[in-house]
Amino acid sequence: MVRITLKGLLILSFTLACALLAFYLNVFRGETRVYPHLFYIPIILAGMWYGKKALYVALFLSAIYIFVTYYSLTPLSVDVFERSAIQLVVAYIIGLISEKRAQVDIELKETKDYLDDVIKSSADAIVVVDMEGIVRSWNKAAEDYMGYTAAEVLGKSNRRFFADPDEADEIMSRVLRDGELKNYRTQVLRKDKKPVHISMSAALLRDKNGIPIGTVRVSRDITKEVELERKIKEERDNLNLIFENMVDGVYIVSRDYTVEFMNKVLIDAFGDQVGGICYEVFHNRKEPCPQCKNPEVLSGKTIRWEWQSRRKNRTYDLIETPLKNSDGSLSKLTIFRDITARKRIEEELKEAKEYYRVIFEYTLTALCVIEDDKTISFANREFESLSGYSREELVGKKWTDFIAEEDLQKVQNYCEERRKGETASCKSFKFLSRTGEIRYVNAWIEPIPGTKRCIASLLNITELKRKKDKLRDTCKRLAELDKMKREFLSVAYHEMRSPLAPIIGYASLLEPKLADRERRYIAIIEQSARELEERINHMLELARIDGKKVELTLGELAVREVVEKVVRKLEPAAEAKNQVISMFIPELTIPADEQKLHTILTNLLSNAIRYTPEGGRIDIIVEDRGADIRACIADTGPGIPAEHLPKIFERFYMVDTSLTRKSGGLGLGLSIVKEYVKMHGGRVWATSELGRGSQFFFTLPKREIMKRSE
Amino acid sequence: MKKKVLIVEDAPYMREMLVEMLEGQVGEYEVVGIAVNGKEAVEKYKALKPDIVTMDLVMEVMDGIQAIEEIKKYDKNALILVISALGTPEYRDAAMRVGADGYLWKPFTVKNLIDVLTKLLEHQKQ
Repeated sequence: MVRITLKGLLILSFTLACALLAFYLNVFRGETRVYPHLFYIPIILAGMWYGKKALYVALFLSAIYIFVTYYSLTPLSVDVFERSAIQLVVAYIIGLISEKRAQVDIELKETKDYLDDVIKSSADAIVVVDMEGIVRSWNKAAEDYMGYTAAEVLGKSNRRFFADPDEADEIMSRVLRDGELKNYRTQVLRKDKKPVHISMSAALLRDKNGIPIGTVRVSRDITKEVELERKIKEERDNLNLIFENMVDGVYIVSRDYTVEFMNKVLIDAFGDQVGGICYEVFHNRKEPCPQCKNPEVLSGKTIRWEWQSRRKNRTYDLIETPLKNSDGSLSKLTIFRDITARKRIEEELKEAKEYYRVIFEYTLTALCVIEDDKTISFANREFESLSGYSREELVGKKWTDFIAEEDLQKVQNYCEERRKGETASCKSFKFLSRTGEIRYVNAWIEPIPGTKRCIASLLNITELKRKKDKLRDTCKRLAELDKMKREFLSVAYHEMRSPLAPIIGYASLLEPKLADRERRYIAIIEQSARELEERINHMLELARIDGKKVELTLGELAVREVVEKVVRKLEPAAEAKNQVISMFIPELTIPADEQKLHTILTNLLSNAIRYTPEGGRIDIIVEDRGADIRACIADTGPGIPAEHLPKIFERFYMVDTSLTRKSGGLGLGLSIVKEYVKMHGGRVWATSELGRGSQFFFTLPKREIMKRSE
Repeated sequence: MKKKVLIVEDAPYMREMLVEMLEGQVGEYEVVGIAVNGKEAVEKYKALKPDIVTMDLVMEVMDGIQAIEEIKKYDKNALILVISALGTPEYRDAAMRVGADGYLWKPFTVKNLIDVLTKLLEHQKQ
């Protein structure tokens, strides 16, 4: 269907107008020459608008013209046909030209549409900027990442997109200089002023004369790539930092043993040897080390191994792994640690473990490990022999099964207390062996720190207990015997004294009735009886001391008075031997039992008189030493051999027990001296030099000592 | 006026010796009785009312301590001198506790005996 358009109507109107004009001018005026020029108007219009279809218009008008001319001008002149032909030719040429032009226009339009589509749909921002820096084109991708719509930027300067606006000029001048710009990285500012990393390529636009008219810029948002790169770099930096600061040695060597990397630890130890040959710089060798794992690692294996350096006497733990270089080649990354100290500790630990195992196993104490549920999990040899079970049988047995019924509660309480860390002592209980035999044991329960287990350590005291019981019986029996002996002696001493009573009594009755000679005999009898009495008295006194029957009656005594009294009593005996007694005694008083002090002094002084030869000298010296007094009775007797000195105060000790000894007592006097001084809290001792005499010392405290309860 | 003495002693030669010692002192002492054990001593004390009793401690039937107690119970002013071989303080204290007035430890001489008796009598007078 032919659409009736404005152009069509116009051409139709002109054509019909031309036909009517031809009729009018030919029929009514006879004109045939001038008006056909008007025919060119519709013909040209049709040629321009409808191409070769203009021929129809030309044919129609030519036909009309020939027809009307024939009607008025017969015969027809050649001119008429000539004019018609020219019209047709014109119509054809115009039609041809206009059709050709239309063809070119369509092609042009298609190309333009295609380019527009490309630009619109491109993921890259495509922006055209003219020589003045004004944005002339702005595609969708540009809108997306810059945030500006095309309407907002077209016709505006591109300087606002850069943090530094001068960068816009810089880009322009570079494109002008080089004709293009490739992968230029920069940051631009979005509409919301956020920076965006972009990669930009630009080309120069020229007009048909080659004059630059602008630049087309293709750019891409590479924020993500930049971020990724930054992260990768950061991680590599971190990795380097880790290597650098590792206490382990880290190094990388290439296939040809060149050191490529050393961390700080290694550099500190060996100096920076990067670039050197590893076996030369580290091991001082001319060729690769025999233990080197380079070939294996470079075949792709990761190896962990321990190396004992005999030369350095150290042990290392090494991890070696292949490392891919950027050029695709492999290097060896080695991380190693000096584990000499750890190895040594492991060895020591092993030794210590063995040491304790041997102790545990061979100790004479029965040991077992008790779990939380009271079962035995471990026992030693002695526990086997105590219980009568083998250790295989023991494992899993309840340890409470070994405790006698009556002791069970006691032991369980003890275990609880030990768990809480209370009761720092062991407990005795009856242990039941396999055969039901009762063994007495001393038990110590020790919780194992950090676990719910504990160790029971049992000492078999059955035999000990038997012996102890026996010993106790013996002691009891001995104590009884001792008591009997003391009682017997006490009576015996009195009984021994009894016969002395008539001897001395009758002698004293006889004495006045006798002549001189007999009187002397009687005196000897009396004297001998008195000596016998004294010896019995000594024995009796020691028995009383042993029986703890002797007590002190303390009084404040003037030492000098007591000494003088004793000297006065014994002076006649000394005078009989022409001995001189000298006293050096300060004025002072001490708390002492007068009768006992008297006995002490009497015994020491009478000994001195007895053993000092005729004409000898005896000194009694008392020193005030602050806290106590020290008395010394020194004689010029024969002295006491050194080996006897420490023993002369011992009970029943006699310097000379031979039959040739000089008689004169049982030596009990010094024992009594020692006991009395001890009762006062003092000390007694003697010094002597053979041939030069002896010195007997004793001390008495100046302050009353508290009586110790024994 | 002679002082009447009752001798309590189980050993015959000691009794004889004491008699000899006391009567050898002209005009001072008169042995009015002799007892061989504590029981007899108490009886004789009651019968004879002596001024002084010499009392042994170890005797059959009744010992000296008991006898002193009995006599002192009967007459708290009785003057009793213990003459014994048991001379250690334990015995001495035991005798003194029941009321003995003096203590003479065997063996002794005639002088020892007379000295003690004299002292005792003087003490009683005071």
